[in-house]
Amino acid sequence: MADKQRIDLLDPAEVARFGGIEIVAQGVVEGFLTGIHRSPFRGFSVEFTEHRAYQPGDEPRYLDWKILARADRLFVKQFEQETNLRAMILVDASRSMAWRGAPGRLTKRAYADRLAAALALILLRQRDATGLITFDETVREVVPARVKAGQWARLVRGLVDTPDGRGTAAHAALVRLTSLLVRRGLAVLVSDLLFDRDLALTALRYLRHRGHQVIVLHLMDPAEAELSGPPEVRFRDPESVASVVVRPRELARAYKATVLREIGAWRTACRRHGIAYHHILTDMPFGTALRLLA
Amino acid sequence: MTFLHPLALVGLAAAAVPALLHLLERQVPPEAEFPPLRYLSEAERQSARRLKLRHLLLLILRTTLIAVLVLAAARPLVSARSSAASLHEPTALVVILDNSVSSGLVVDGHPTLDRLRGMARASLGRATASDRLWLMLADGVARAGTREALLATLDGVAVSPRRLDLTAAVRVAARLVDGQPLAAREVHVLSDLQRTALGPGRASAPRGVRVLALAPQSQAASNRGVGVTRVADGALALSVVGTPNSRAGAVTLRIRDREVARALAAPGSAVSITLPPLGPGWWVGEATLDPDELRADDRRLVVWRVAPPARVTALPGAGAFVDAALAVLREGQRVQTGSDVVIGDRVEGGGRFTLVVPPADPALLGQMNRSLAARGIGEGRRGRGETSSAAGEGGGGRWRFGSSGTPGHLAATAVPGIAGIQVTRRYRIETTTGDGAGGTAVDSAVLATVNGEPWLVREGTVMLIGSRLDTGWTALPASPAFVPFVDALVNRLARGEAPVVEAEGAPRVEFRTRGADTLGATVYGVDPAESDLTAASPALVRDVLGADVLDGASWTGASFAGAGRRDLSTLLLALALFLALVELGVATRTH
Repeated sequence: MADKQRIDLLDPAEVARFGGIEIVAQGVVEGFLTGIHRSPFRGFSVEFTEHRAYQPGDEPRYLDWKILARADRLFVKQFEQETNLRAMILVDASRSMAWRGAPGRLTKRAYADRLAAALALILLRQRDATGLITFDETVREVVPARVKAGQWARLVRGLVDTPDGRGTAAHAALVRLTSLLVRRGLAVLVSDLLFDRDLALTALRYLRHRGHQVIVLHLMDPAEAELSGPPEVRFRDPESVASVVVRPRELARAYKATVLREIGAWRTACRRHGIAYHHILTDMPFGTALRLLA
Repeated sequence: MTFLHPLALVGLAAAAVPALLHLLERQVPPEAEFPPLRYLSEAERQSARRLKLRHLLLLILRTTLIAVLVLAAARPLVSARSSAASLHEPTALVVILDNSVSSGLVVDGHPTLDRLRGMARASLGRATASDRLWLMLADGVARAGTREALLATLDGVAVSPRRLDLTAAVRVAARLVDGQPLAAREVHVLSDLQRTALGPGRASAPRGVRVLALAPQSQAASNRGVGVTRVADGALALSVVGTPNSRAGAVTLRIRDREVARALAAPGSAVSITLPPLGPGWWVGEATLDPDELRADDRRLVVWRVAPPARVTALPGAGAFVDAALAVLREGQRVQTGSDVVIGDRVEGGGRFTLVVPPADPALLGQMNRSLAARGIGEGRRGRGETSSAAGEGGGGRWRFGSSGTPGHLAATAVPGIAGIQVTRRYRIETTTGDGAGGTAVDSAVLATVNGEPWLVREGTVMLIGSRLDTGWTALPASPAFVPFVDALVNRLARGEAPVVEAEGAPRVEFRTRGADTLGATVYGVDPAESDLTAASPALVRDVLGADVLDGASWTGASFAGAGRRDLSTLLLALALFLALVELGVATRTH
């Protein structure tokens, strides 16, 4: 019963009807943090720096029991390393991300925006400096990583202000990212990965080599995982003039195998280089997707 | 291979439907955006070969499926060695079952007819609803009917006392089936193929009509039969017929169930048996032979009349030839001098019977006619209960001599031996009503004609002859038939007596009567030709009937268009079902 009231576990399309990105992201994060009993991200180090108010999900062992005894208020202790975490969220804004397989679902881009906003809110609440890069063929929007107040609003604005692009060139965005992440930090790539895998992996490997923690969130509409449609149809690539005439029912099995093989290739390549990889369908509740990152 | 329903093959055009649908379906596919086109292209690249093969396989399967279904609907027939359960082309078939006397021959304890009937049953039993069937028996009548009806008729077939002329029967049957618009036409001859059953000429079956004849089961059995019997001069002349070289057998003559004589005779020989003294009247005798395997010809009836010689007077106007003939007959005690029968060129009132020839002088013809009118020919005797003759009935005809008639030849059935003899001069014999040619009521009294006009007539006690019995009028007096003719005139015809006639049928005697008088008789018996059981050689059968002579083993395989034909539709339907299952499997696996 409680789970049904948590919007982080509702269907993303239904959640999206509650309001804009900010409202949705906040709701998702609230629900997500309520259901989890420890912080999803590491960052607590040995050197204490300051207190902050307890938030659901914080580990009880970091509670300052003295303050609790004196003032009957919950505070947790924060350490030096935590405030030094710099996270950059890379959101793919290419044309292919603006597609959905059914009218009742979110586009991949809409899902990515809300997931990125929620993730940024979580990071910022943990006092992690969080930034944003949106890209298609080129880098469209850059919000440097900050932890100051109003950062989340800037990030959300950055997402909203980025229109749907045309082609995709993740390599350029990742190269740009290396210049923005001077210190070791966290890079989260949210994309449908419909670009050249080798080039993208080269850039991601470089980030990893620089000591960054890299997470790849592979978004996919359910209609992209299972091929269906009329008896015969001409499918056209939204990012190019390429098209192909197929009979979906004939090709469904081979297509599914190809998709699974592609996912497996991404997962294997990422694992080989110490990169976290998660495959997310756009009908997956945001809370579930965030839990993958915990 | 042939087809029962060839028009259904038009449906083969439907085999193009899958290909057409394939082409039509490919024309305008809808368009849609699909971002992971690279995955799709990769999947298609990897599956292209397999999909092409499947498409080709499905196209072939569907096209073949339709073609097979259409072929099955057309009911293809192929030759089959085992024809018991096979079909055949629509066939017009006449089965000739020779149930004549000789089919009663007992072979190995069973009548030959049983074997022939069994083969006829086999032929008719293989017929289908598409065939047209006839059954012809020894009576020569082709009975049309359904298979079931003819099989029922077969059950009731017994040995007939009649003889079947196979040549004529095959000729009729071949023409019958030749007129049928069916794919095959056959005549099945189921007979013991007696040589004597082959009539004159050839059957000459039309092209396209197959005639099959069942070969005789065994060699000709020895057989004896009573042939022609005739009573003359107090003796019975009897011939024994049968298969040549058969042993002699005893012939017994019985009169009124009393054995009166016995003789020994072999086929081809004749015996003369002296009859015992018998009183006047009609007598029936029975000549029998010792029993053999064919019983129907071992007995024959014989009828004769014992009567005193006619007493005859020839008037001077009768002519010299009549006088000479009567002298001969008188010497042979066939006639006596008396007034029972008067022959002359005028009507005398003294005789009981009068034979009138035209006068030599044409001027006397009117007087003759007036005398005939005064005699009242036809009155008084008419309507006295004559059972078979209609003489004088209804026509009211009084015969008279008319104008001169054209020369011609004699035609007569009641008087044997005179047919074809030239008549150069004659008077027409007409009725007083002017019906010169003789109406139907007068015909029965007309005993001989020339050019279709009466030449010898009888009415009551008077007989008129259109020509004088002189060689200036007719060649009859100069022919050997003249004396027997005069004999018949005075002993038989003048008294209205008909000859003893032999007819084909079950042995019996039918008497012809008029009132209390017996005028004649018909003796029924089997045809003597039936007694000779010698089988015709296959070459002769081929030559005369144009038939293929087959034994029982090859009969079934050869009948109905030469071979049994098996319907492939069931096999094709099974193949179609198999193809449909394969198509379903391939399509399901593809989808």
